[in-house]
Amino acid sequence: MTPDAPTPMAEPDGAIVTVGLGKSYGGRGPRARTPVRALHDLSITVRRGEIFGFLGPNGAGKSTMIRILLGFLHASAGSARVLGLDVVTDGLAIRAQVGYLPGGIAFYDSMTGEAVLDYLARLHGAGAPLRDELVERLELSRADLRRLVRDYSRGMRQKVGIVQAMQHDPQLLVLDEPTEGLDPLMQRAFYELLEERRRAGRTIFFSSHILSEVERVCDRVAIIRHGELVALSDIGELLARRRRHVEARLAGPAPVLDGVAGVSRVVVADGVLRCDLEGDVGPFLAAIGGASITDLTIEPARLEEAFLEYYDGDVGQGRP
Amino acid sequence: MNRALFGRTLAANRVRMLACALGLLVWGAILPVMYATFGKDVAALMGTNPLFEQFSRFGGGDLFSLHGAIALGFIHPFTLLLMGIMAIGFPAIAIAGERQRGTLEVILARPISRRAMYATVYVAGLLFLGVLLAILLGANVVSATVMGVGDELALDRVPVLWLSGWLLFVAFLSVGFAASVSFDRMPPALGVPLVFLLVNYLADAIGSLWPDASWLRDWSMFHLVKAQKVLDGGVAFSDVAVLAAIGAAAVVYALVVFPKRDLAAPS
Repeated sequence: MTPDAPTPMAEPDGAIVTVGLGKSYGGRGPRARTPVRALHDLSITVRRGEIFGFLGPNGAGKSTMIRILLGFLHASAGSARVLGLDVVTDGLAIRAQVGYLPGGIAFYDSMTGEAVLDYLARLHGAGAPLRDELVERLELSRADLRRLVRDYSRGMRQKVGIVQAMQHDPQLLVLDEPTEGLDPLMQRAFYELLEERRRAGRTIFFSSHILSEVERVCDRVAIIRHGELVALSDIGELLARRRRHVEARLAGPAPVLDGVAGVSRVVVADGVLRCDLEGDVGPFLAAIGGASITDLTIEPARLEEAFLEYYDGDVGQGRP
Repeated sequence: MNRALFGRTLAANRVRMLACALGLLVWGAILPVMYATFGKDVAALMGTNPLFEQFSRFGGGDLFSLHGAIALGFIHPFTLLLMGIMAIGFPAIAIAGERQRGTLEVILARPISRRAMYATVYVAGLLFLGVLLAILLGANVVSATVMGVGDELALDRVPVLWLSGWLLFVAFLSVGFAASVSFDRMPPALGVPLVFLLVNYLADAIGSLWPDASWLRDWSMFHLVKAQKVLDGGVAFSDVAVLAAIGAAAVVYALVVFPKRDLAAPS
């Protein structure tokens, strides 16, 4: 973990609690290679009733973490609890209370959407109390559901994937890149569904590399890099710590900003002052108080900038 | 066992099962017809050339008797092909195929243990093989009766032959499932048990046709089911026990390995 990353205290009642979680591949057996470290010392707590964003580029370890929580992978180090249950010994009890949407979900092409949903509900054994509402909200018509899955577009498959994950009203939703393939209207409908589930007391663990949606729907976010946690924070706190871009149109001499807390990269040219501003805006406002300014723009920080700061130079390189 | 998965497995394999059942039904009916029509002529030919006699003994069957004809059909490559679809192909599809397609994780995200999933599809496999062999032997019996040679058949031995043959293919099924839980992709899950089956079959076939290589048959699982001897009244319980042991060992392997495997995201 980098110095910026918090060392979270495990909250025993959290929906998801991981302590020192690690996963390496390929270091054992007769054809052992140099181990590939997919996760390292990952400690996070997802509180009950929150929407938690899990951010990182492809290959950062997001899916590895999810697959450990669901029992598909076995951790090489550390421990994880979901809804108070141990992922190693209580896998069945955990999965009975979880709804999971895998990234790039696959179905049986020879079945209709309706048959897939019925089958998966029967496998779960908990019924499908939310199915009708979800189908309506995601605009899946009866005719759509009676078509074979092989004839579905990517967006249609994703909608069916969302319904199968949520139809049994699980306590915890684990969603891996949930809006892939959804058009903007459906994305909005999906965000509303998440919000309603949260209001109903459900927890949502949301992995994504689409920063705008995480910023929009999540209460807290963890940023993972090369399998390590680099930030865990409220979205608001994360953004508040980020640099904002300031542009002031001057009608007179530029104010002196040297040494003002939070201000950096000051440039004055053609009657326009530009700088970056971090943290509390008070010292900056005090410093420009006497200046003659005709226009002032403070561009709000975006999660993308916060994210890129953690990933400076790495994004897009696909490092595991 | 999971009822929903069991029902889905039966439904998903109905076309495959129907095709195999039809093939075995026709094949099972043909051999008694061949025996009733040509059996005596073929027997007369045997004395004319030693090669004929050697080739007539392929796989422990012949066309000189009804039991021999049924045994010949039991071990014939056509039977092997149709039974192999369910004994080798089905296990590969049922786990490694689901894994490759990405649907395994959709199933296992439900409250179903890997062992329960394995047990469910394994029991479906046992059922498929039992039904197919019953159809083959049933067709033998009906055809022999229709052709007027039914009185030559020891009917009370047919269930024993069914059990022996079922154990043979269950052993291959178990090996197929052991491979299926061990690989993430279909080709090795299909290829390894297929090679295992073919090596066993070739050892038995070569050993039965070439006297100097008859020792090869001792290493073939097919040699553990001596269909004609079973119908004639003899059964070696040690052979049955060996088949059961091979199947059991493969089941134990799968039950240990499958839950311990890492199921990484499908690529």
